[in-house]
Amino acid sequence: MSNVDLLRMTISEMAPKIKNREVSPVELTEAALSEADRLQPTLNSFIQILHEHAMDQAREAEAAISQGKYLGPLHGIPIGLKDNLATAGITTTVGSKVLANHVPEEDAEVVTRCRDAGAIIIGKENLEEFAAGATSNNPHYGAVHNPWGLDHVPGGSSGGGGANVAAGVTFMSLGTDLGGSVRLPGTFCGVVGLKQSYGRVSQRGLMVTSFNGDHIGPMTRSVADSALVLQILAGNDPLDPSTVPVPVPDYSTYLGQSLKGLKMGVPSNHYFEMLDAEVESAVRGSIATLAELGAELQEVSLPMMEYIGAMRISAMADGVVTHEPFLKAKREDYSSDTFYRTVAGQFVLGKDYSKSLRVQRLIQEDYARVMQQVDFLVTPTAPVAAPRIDAKHVVINGKEHRVRGPGSGIISRFTSPFNHVGLPAITVPCGVSHLGLPIGVQFITASFEEGMLFRVSDSYEKVSPSQGLRPATAVGI
Amino acid sequence: MSIPNETLKAMIRDYNGLELSDEELELVRPELESYFAELKKMEGLDLSDIFSGRLMNLSD
Repeated sequence: MSNVDLLRMTISEMAPKIKNREVSPVELTEAALSEADRLQPTLNSFIQILHEHAMDQAREAEAAISQGKYLGPLHGIPIGLKDNLATAGITTTVGSKVLANHVPEEDAEVVTRCRDAGAIIIGKENLEEFAAGATSNNPHYGAVHNPWGLDHVPGGSSGGGGANVAAGVTFMSLGTDLGGSVRLPGTFCGVVGLKQSYGRVSQRGLMVTSFNGDHIGPMTRSVADSALVLQILAGNDPLDPSTVPVPVPDYSTYLGQSLKGLKMGVPSNHYFEMLDAEVESAVRGSIATLAELGAELQEVSLPMMEYIGAMRISAMADGVVTHEPFLKAKREDYSSDTFYRTVAGQFVLGKDYSKSLRVQRLIQEDYARVMQQVDFLVTPTAPVAAPRIDAKHVVINGKEHRVRGPGSGIISRFTSPFNHVGLPAITVPCGVSHLGLPIGVQFITASFEEGMLFRVSDSYEKVSPSQGLRPATAVGI
Repeated sequence: MSIPNETLKAMIRDYNGLELSDEELELVRPELESYFAELKKMEGLDLSDIFSGRLMNLSD
């Protein structure tokens, strides 16, 4: 098999070959680095490619495996890390000029778990400045380009990772998701993006995070890979009080199970309003497919979603406090979009912050009620396919909406609610637009029911119209 | 609802905020307009009797 054929595999396909020593981690990593270098001028998906570091890890992996010390499915697999995940001794910029030379002393907990699993970290990936947006048009490190259409955004804020997984440069990229920043690159780049339950995975070492609702999750080329990665990342972290000591099941046992008899909730409000007609058509097609697979459709109502915009109020205040150390000392190092969007938070009154959190509770109760009635929910992941990099607005139903900066938020309209309520959500490709840009469908289950999430999304993925589709820019192309 | 620049500047001054010029306050306004619009929507909600949904982190 050629190196390109190897790089196009999923982790689930590659892992047995590494375990059985059919494929060398050193050769695989060399191939991944070679393609990373070749595609970097086109995709601009990395802030830093870690050649020496990766080769050292690969040689270590090869030696260990040759001695029979195989660690598991991530051993010897080239992966990427969003550059807001702390890596000890390796510059971690958070996509900013402010932290351009910041070198953490410790790895983030998820990085430690990936290293302990034997993964090969080939680079730190490009992202929206301070992970504060949905495009990955980074003003300091350059825009990331979508492999499906180079003039289009890959989504954000974990756009570098989405582009890399889609193009075949990395087998998995770890991103972070505060309002959709793993799932939006997932849908725009035609890959699987997972935001697990709040409390399932440690956030320790996620830099410049917001206070309420951030998650670390993987982008992968298949649902099975997503399950495999979560198996490694999930679990209580005694040093992160946001994690919960809920046992981690064997997620692989949920794959391949029938959907017959499962109740599929389709929201009657919010999620099918204000979206592009092609996206709606693709997602409704997914719903029909799920019904053919045996799921029973049930319309559900979420009346408190009328107030979901109130969550922006607490997010504004949280954001300005997160950035306070930098805003005063280094305001000139911020882009204007990020600066003015962030600094607006200083005007939020305490009582309004309290109202926002109380509304959050009411919205959580709505979803708790609905999740008693159904096994999973289906929604579009984003209202549009990937906008152009130079677009300041997207047009939906004849109305213009800002793509980034103050007053923006339309692109994360369907993803951010699940950050606020903490439910696990995954995006799976479900077709392409007339421009050949991917469209994603989002599945949601109850808290800590990632097993059900993988069961549903794995079944759907096998019959998705996106099966076999590849981007125009990828390894070997 | 609209808050004049003078009020915003007074808030910055009295609460030790980040100084912004009149031109910069206009750049911030879209976020403030969203904030005020959401406050208006919430006017009809009774939020007095709601308690936190925060998880208690129990030991294993």
